[in-house]
Amino acid sequence: MAANVFPFRDARSAPDPVLEAGPVAHGLLPVPLVLDNGSFQVRAGWACPGQDPGPEPRLQFRAVCARGRGGARGGSGPQVGNALGSLEPLRWMLRSPFDRNVPVNLELQELLLDYSFQHLGVSSQGCVDHPIVLTEAVCNPLYSRQMMSELLFECYGIPKVAYGIDSLFSFYHNKPKNSMCSGLIISSGYQCTHVLPILEGRLDAKNCKRINLGGSQAAGYLQRLLQLKYPGHLAAITLSRMEEILHEHSYIAEDYVEELHKWRCPDYYENNVHKMQLPFSSKLLGSTLTSEEKQERRQQQLRRLQELNARRREEKLQLDQERLDRLLYVQELLEDGQMDQFHKALIELNMDSPEELQSYIQKLSSAVEQAKQKILQAEVNLEVDVVDSKPEPVFNLAAYHQLFVGTERIRAPEIIFQPSLIGEEQAGIAETLQYILDRYPKDVQETLVQNVFLTGGNTMYPGMKARMEKELLEMRPFQSSFQVQLASNPVLDAWYGARDWALDHLDDNEVWITRKEYEEKGGEYLKEHRASNIYVPIRLPKQASRSSDAQASSKGSAAGGGGAGEQA
Amino acid sequence: MAAQIPIVATTSTPGIVRNSKKRPASPSHNGSSGGGYGASKKKKVSASSFAQPCLSPSTMIVRPPQPRGTGISMEAMNENKVVPSEFSTGPVEKAAKPLPFKDPNFVHSGHGGAVAGKKNRTWKNLKQILASERALPWQLNDPNYFSIDAPPSFKPAKKYSDVSGLLANYTDPQSKLRFSTIEEFSYIRRLPSDVVTGYLALRKATSIVP
Repeated sequence: MAANVFPFRDARSAPDPVLEAGPVAHGLLPVPLVLDNGSFQVRAGWACPGQDPGPEPRLQFRAVCARGRGGARGGSGPQVGNALGSLEPLRWMLRSPFDRNVPVNLELQELLLDYSFQHLGVSSQGCVDHPIVLTEAVCNPLYSRQMMSELLFECYGIPKVAYGIDSLFSFYHNKPKNSMCSGLIISSGYQCTHVLPILEGRLDAKNCKRINLGGSQAAGYLQRLLQLKYPGHLAAITLSRMEEILHEHSYIAEDYVEELHKWRCPDYYENNVHKMQLPFSSKLLGSTLTSEEKQERRQQQLRRLQELNARRREEKLQLDQERLDRLLYVQELLEDGQMDQFHKALIELNMDSPEELQSYIQKLSSAVEQAKQKILQAEVNLEVDVVDSKPEPVFNLAAYHQLFVGTERIRAPEIIFQPSLIGEEQAGIAETLQYILDRYPKDVQETLVQNVFLTGGNTMYPGMKARMEKELLEMRPFQSSFQVQLASNPVLDAWYGARDWALDHLDDNEVWITRKEYEEKGGEYLKEHRASNIYVPIRLPKQASRSSDAQASSKGSAAGGGGAGEQA
Repeated sequence: MAAQIPIVATTSTPGIVRNSKKRPASPSHNGSSGGGYGASKKKKVSASSFAQPCLSPSTMIVRPPQPRGTGISMEAMNENKVVPSEFSTGPVEKAAKPLPFKDPNFVHSGHGGAVAGKKNRTWKNLKQILASERALPWQLNDPNYFSIDAPPSFKPAKKYSDVSGLLANYTDPQSKLRFSTIEEFSYIRRLPSDVVTGYLALRKATSIVP
């Protein structure tokens, strides 16, 4: 039936044009560049008020790069993001600077930044002359921030940088201009999901929790489920198509167990299964023949075998017959009374007595009889076979190339609520939320729960908000209230929030890390602001140019620094 | 790998620290067979060979089979760097232009490459970074990347069928797969062993202990 059959879009990304920065970038004050550096996508754009560059980020591209295919494509070098077109042919060559949600490979990060600056139209010579707002992971490791600062200041020569957390930017973008709010942010991204409590406008970092599951794990889970269900279509079940299924055909069940009960019923299944139509491929189960051809071949083989067998049987029969004749002749010798010749013949035949001869004759004659019977039967069978072959039923070729996505629609997104589905030991979102709430006194819990905020691309499943409300209902005291809000644009709000923040703080020197401060205090230095991490002043040894120096450099003492690092 | 040595040999000029990602001060740079050195590079070759094109502006086409050609192009790019070229808005050409807003002599200190000699040659991955972060003098209440990992779950996990995802009341003793209906059971019993292992691996339930 044609209901619920969906094709795969298999979209290819168009390469980004190299944009002109325009007059906006050359105002009096250099305009900040806002980069939401995510493990799934990088979003980059200018932060200036007004319509000129457009309020939305000018660049959005996947945070991956790959060398040209085949390796021998000299000259074009590694391609980044949207210049790759479709990701699938290059799946094994894709490299990302991220390891989970932290950039670790700064050379690839450099490539991504090159791409962003180049396509945004940065044209300043010798350095990138714009302040940069960059997002980082929650509680970013100091080493990673040090590497990132080094890249920005030394390679690109930027004047100043500010680091922030993407979910906090998104939170502030969705709230009115009220910086003193408290709430709970649940931010689910590509690689991990964070639960972040905000108290009085400032992140309460020691009570944050991170679950290491996100969109990429859901896509991987879905891919393996479908590959195990359809082993014949292993190559056609690609991660890009899985992401397509997740984005467009999956939802989160409000009550998982109840929803599963609904799926048991065959009518519900028929109505709600999504049949993803794969493009037709002539490879059926690995053989290149159609079913009729295969049958033909099988029949031919059978016939050949039968003929062979028949011939062998006839030959054997022939031999046996001859032998029987000889033995009979010898027996006749006995009957005729020619004893000498008889004995001589017996010796020749290697037999001892006439009885043995007799029994041998009997055995042989019965064998000959049987052989004759078999030959007759085989001939009869052969005729019967030729008449009796009916064709295999022609099966529905379209249905063979369809993937039936039924309960997988709810199973894949469910892993953030029940990580035990893929064997993770961590607690799901609901249990983590409860764990965090229990660390606060009751009145603080009340305020936090009034302002639960969902952001991040992995929260965009239909039914996410209803599910969160149900989970909160289960864990909160009877008849207490709570409020769940979804970000207006969970994917891009982090960038918008960062842009708003940049515009608010253009002149504020308290929040930007300048080059001078980088040189004095090291790359891991962070200036706190309302959307930033908490800074713990531990000095990292500078990754020196000679490995011998690295051990010798001093570690700044952090004994007294712990107090300063506590959140306000 | 010997293929990389010819490239290294051509970039012996001091100004191009960046091009010679391959250790200017190390013995292999002389082009002589860096015997043990070559052997110790075996794991990192893929990373560093990929890293080569990352220094995109000046070493876009480091092609091992044509060492002479790249040598020439790199010489040419020296001149390019000295004169900051007008940035073209056209598509990237074969001999890629150095991007003007970058410092062409920048070397990452984190990546071993040219500067760290034999010690660290690749980027640390997250596990290594976290391991070294643990060793720093944190106070008890400081938030850091590994302290905000979510705790393991206290609630018992619900059991779902491996095949259909419905609630599973039963487990097949032979293959340890969970199922919920009789049809699923017959389906499971007819599965090839690789699919069975696949389902178990999905749940991280494969165990080498019999």
